[in-house]
Amino acid sequence: MDVRERRWLYVLIGVFVVFNAVTLSPLVPWQRWLLWAKPTPDQTVRIEFGDYEIRLPAEGIEVRVGEYIEFVTTSADVTYGLGVFRQDGTMVFQMQVPPGRENHLIWKFDEPGLYDVRSTEYSGPRHSEMFVPDAIRVSS
Amino acid sequence: MTQLGWTQKWTLRFAVVALLFLAAAGFEGSLMRTQLAAPNLVAGMEAALNTIRPTKTEPTSAELYYGMLTVHPIMGVYGFVYMAVMGAFYFLVPHLLGKEIRFKKLVPVNFALQIIGVVVCWLSGFFGLFNAMYTLYWPLPVSFDRVPVWGSVAFAVGAAIIMVNILLFSYNTFSTVLSKSNPRSYSLWQFLRAAFGISRLMKWLGKEDKNAPNLDYNGLPVFLVAVARGSIDTVINAVVLLSAGALILIYGIAALLNSPLDPSAVDALIYKNWYWWGLDMVADGNALIYTAGVWYLLIPLLTGRKLFGANVVKTVIMVDLLVSMGVWSHHLLGDTSQPMWMRLLSGQFITWGEFFTMGLTIFAALMTVWLARPVKWTPALKFAIGSMFGFMMGGIAGLIQANVGLNVVFHNTQWVVGLHAHTFLLTGVGTMLFAVIYALLPMLTQLEVKSKRLVNVHFWFWMVGNVVMAYSMGMAGSKGMARRTLYESNQYQTYEMVAWLGGLVVAIGFLAFLVNVIHTLGLTNVLGLFLPEKWLNRRGALAQA
Repeated sequence: MDVRERRWLYVLIGVFVVFNAVTLSPLVPWQRWLLWAKPTPDQTVRIEFGDYEIRLPAEGIEVRVGEYIEFVTTSADVTYGLGVFRQDGTMVFQMQVPPGRENHLIWKFDEPGLYDVRSTEYSGPRHSEMFVPDAIRVSS
Repeated sequence: MTQLGWTQKWTLRFAVVALLFLAAAGFEGSLMRTQLAAPNLVAGMEAALNTIRPTKTEPTSAELYYGMLTVHPIMGVYGFVYMAVMGAFYFLVPHLLGKEIRFKKLVPVNFALQIIGVVVCWLSGFFGLFNAMYTLYWPLPVSFDRVPVWGSVAFAVGAAIIMVNILLFSYNTFSTVLSKSNPRSYSLWQFLRAAFGISRLMKWLGKEDKNAPNLDYNGLPVFLVAVARGSIDTVINAVVLLSAGALILIYGIAALLNSPLDPSAVDALIYKNWYWWGLDMVADGNALIYTAGVWYLLIPLLTGRKLFGANVVKTVIMVDLLVSMGVWSHHLLGDTSQPMWMRLLSGQFITWGEFFTMGLTIFAALMTVWLARPVKWTPALKFAIGSMFGFMMGGIAGLIQANVGLNVVFHNTQWVVGLHAHTFLLTGVGTMLFAVIYALLPMLTQLEVKSKRLVNVHFWFWMVGNVVMAYSMGMAGSKGMARRTLYESNQYQTYEMVAWLGGLVVAIGFLAFLVNVIHTLGLTNVLGLFLPEKWLNRRGALAQA
């Protein structure tokens, strides 16, 4: 291997190490609970998907800032996606909801307010209708 | 134009049809972008086209949008890219080997079947309103309350034709390459050992397999090694997609016979793993390996200098093949049911293998150009360098989303489809294919492109338009805009408008290219590739009269 190639390879290795170390570290806030700590959820929220509907708990979803919330999702027919969005449309998090399994994800909200829920996986021509405004209320 | 040989004619035919598919895919893209930017603007056209659709009820705007979105990548990937690759390889492989294609009769068969397969898929979306997306996540393609059964069956048949055709093409390529590489007879097992680099490893260990073809040491040009290795991915892709298509076809036929099968008999997550393992052999397999091979061929040819680091490059191609076998989980990072170790290992770390292979590939190509200074900036060289920029831009976006942490906010957003997929396909692969066309045109026809100014218009409009389109889609994605979603609100309209304008700039660049090529070859010669000579002579006589 030519010395110039070797030096370039070292640069590539450096970028690989730094990028992965940073993005796997707690510097990415949600990595703290998704990857490193396994916190006990303060609340479990079950959401069912089926027939183009997002079925939230009858009592609504009310959580507090800083609580660990476990979202448990299931699908009765095809693959959907659970996407939680801020009021300005930016995404907080999302997960896939394939049928035949319970899908789990823990999240901790850091800002109070109302959050929308949208299915983030295409499920058929009526997919765009799967939007629930103000589905999650987060209080301080 | 000099009299074209048989191979040259077929290569040009493949290229012309590939460009037609690109134009059609681009038109579809502009329609969908229009619908996202201004929802009612295409209503008149929809109503007009509905008059020729034999459906009982008038399809909704969403059904039309998602039907078009489903077949759009088939047009782009299997219509444009594969047609162009087949045409280029059918000329380059025998040309570099100094011998004929092994099975010449398969060339027109490949040409016809690829067109038929892509058109059948397209018709399944246009008439059949098949809308399960190219991802075909189980059980959506067989959920006949959402996806029309006839559309599903037609799509599966079209996809099967394409995949069988690709297998025939790969067989012809393998046969042509290896019949020269090693005149001795060898078994399939020996060939597979060579293709996966095991024979090379054995040689390092002092145990050379003398009876097997050796892709690295039998004096084959690096390009041909890349073609052979990339074709392994091509075959795997075709076999896996064929199996998925067969499954959909079985469910479709059963439904048509009023004996519906239970979709839950197939595990959605296992199917998704199998399907993405095969599908990713295109995006993260042959696309990268073929592209690397083309750069390794073109750059020394265009600069007049031997490729820098040829030995490292051969290792890179082999590693790329192995990497491509293990990266599929980056499409399942949003699936929390997928074990975390698989998401981390296959989804994130092995994906970074491509950063090394493509990083070393681009470095070798750029070093060759650098050491060859001063170089003549021919159209082909400009586009070859441009395609490297496309791969870097699309690759960086890909590495950001193929990350267990960052994927939480990027998965299924416009970021993925804009900054990664479209950049990879248009700015990367598309630009590389233009470099090949510019390089092959004089080799095939003995003609130089007529207008250097139009080449520059093509280059800058194509590159800038694609970057503008990709960045505006990427920014919309970072603001939360989901992909495969037809929004009813105007939330992301500004980004969509800018993306639409970017697409318009791309189209102007592409038109400049078409005008230049037709002007160079002559319209009669282009038509002569497809029409009998006597028809053209009669037209000419009529025009003179």
